[in-house]
Amino acid sequence: MKKLLEISLGVVTSVGGFLEVGSMATAAQAGALFGYQLIWAVVLGTICIIFLVEMAGRFAAVSHHTIADGIRERFGFNAFIWPLLAVLLVNFLVLSAEIGGVAVAAELATGISFQWWALPVAFLAWLLLWKGTFGLIEKGVSMLGLVTLCFVVAAVMLRPEWKEVAVGAVPSLPHHDTAKYWFMAVSILGASISPYLFMFYSSGAIEDQWDKSYLGTNRAIAGLGMSFGGTISVGVLIVAALVLGAHGVTEVDDYNQLPLMLIPIFGFWGFVLFVASLAIACFGAALEVALQQAYLVAQGFGWNWGEDLKPRDDPGFSLVYTLTLFLAAVPIALGLDPLKLTIFSMALTAASLPLTVVPFLFLLNDDRYVGKHRNGVISNAAVIFVIALGFVLAVVTIPLQIFGGT
Amino acid sequence: MQLLRDILDKQVVDREQVKIGKVDGLVAELRQGKPPRVIAIELGSIALARRLGAQPGRWTARLAAKLGGKLQARPHRIAWHKVRDIGVDIEFDMDVRRTKIFAWQHWLRDHVVGRIPGA
Repeated sequence: MKKLLEISLGVVTSVGGFLEVGSMATAAQAGALFGYQLIWAVVLGTICIIFLVEMAGRFAAVSHHTIADGIRERFGFNAFIWPLLAVLLVNFLVLSAEIGGVAVAAELATGISFQWWALPVAFLAWLLLWKGTFGLIEKGVSMLGLVTLCFVVAAVMLRPEWKEVAVGAVPSLPHHDTAKYWFMAVSILGASISPYLFMFYSSGAIEDQWDKSYLGTNRAIAGLGMSFGGTISVGVLIVAALVLGAHGVTEVDDYNQLPLMLIPIFGFWGFVLFVASLAIACFGAALEVALQQAYLVAQGFGWNWGEDLKPRDDPGFSLVYTLTLFLAAVPIALGLDPLKLTIFSMALTAASLPLTVVPFLFLLNDDRYVGKHRNGVISNAAVIFVIALGFVLAVVTIPLQIFGGT
Repeated sequence: MQLLRDILDKQVVDREQVKIGKVDGLVAELRQGKPPRVIAIELGSIALARRLGAQPGRWTARLAAKLGGKLQARPHRIAWHKVRDIGVDIEFDMDVRRTKIFAWQHWLRDHVVGRIPGA
């Protein structure tokens, strides 16, 4: 019974982490312009992240190391510094985009320009991290994230042709806007396979003191949680395809178009639901990314860390998330377009994948860390696939950004 | 046991299990006619910067001396004979509060973090 509760909480949590401004924006753009054709990218990204999250949890439960600890210890500081810098940069951009997402939701709700909301949003997030515990943040905020299920409800109520949806799950070549198509595929993959997601997950496993008895729980949470998150993304994509596409909106380049999505189904409440979903999903992600930034630095240098400690007991750790949050709010406060920043940071995330995923291949096959719980053939094949995908993405991202970016 | 593989970059804790830092460097003693022997581990920003190269090491040492005084101009060392347990972490029989290792964290606590309400 306790395990069941733990699994359902974990699933809810990972849904909260999965769905954020990146997956919402990329799915909406893809749906509007290409109909169901890019569903395969969501499905592929979800399968990849299931494997990586499962491995991150298994690594933490068996070796009692977070992924960051593992990379530094196994490869040494001089190798660790590259993924460290890459993830710090990518996380910073993603955090900025998430703050932008909440700020846009606040603008939609109040009519006051998003720029004014960036600092208050960062302050609220900081206050929660400063005073809150890990349990409060992990469970409380992600519980609210269930509101995003409204996209799945909406998608079902729109009665899509399920056969066409299934066809979209198989990769196919675009009939128009080829560069844009591939750029969107890359952004969707970047939004799904986020390093902060699996690194945060491994830190969470250590904070919750997982051991080997959690291996089953871990597998269930990784599989179910990420699939749920992927389902919601597909829901967003279907709704965007049927509502935005049908209204002649093929180019989502202004976030003001986005709330239109739910209005035909839920009327005025559709607007409210959209704003609430955007605000909560992005706020939850902002908390996780800011925390992950502090985890990464603290784990990398061996400082005391833990969200349950009082800030005065881990001053270095608390200072990192404090600085990160307020600095990340600055670009938004200066008026940088949150939607453009989101799409850009998702593509950059995809490009940074090799640096963070290659270590999985070594760590998860090293007896000294995972003993007999090392990767099987399927898991290793999945890692190698993600690495290959990561290398392709790293090479194509910049050209596609130039030719297909918004 | 292999020093570089099994010791370097490991998490260091003191006898109260407080996380002090990572094993950023190892100090070995060369002895005439006998194999070299590890006498201490080093940790802190200077030891870490030295691993990136001699130049970054010198810069960091100069910066640390400027910010923290002469006592901070060299990497922190913990004698190897104080090692108590090598597991997930490497535990030393010492109390971090009696060292200068956390000087900067304490400075942060007293001058920045501690002044923010609710800390």
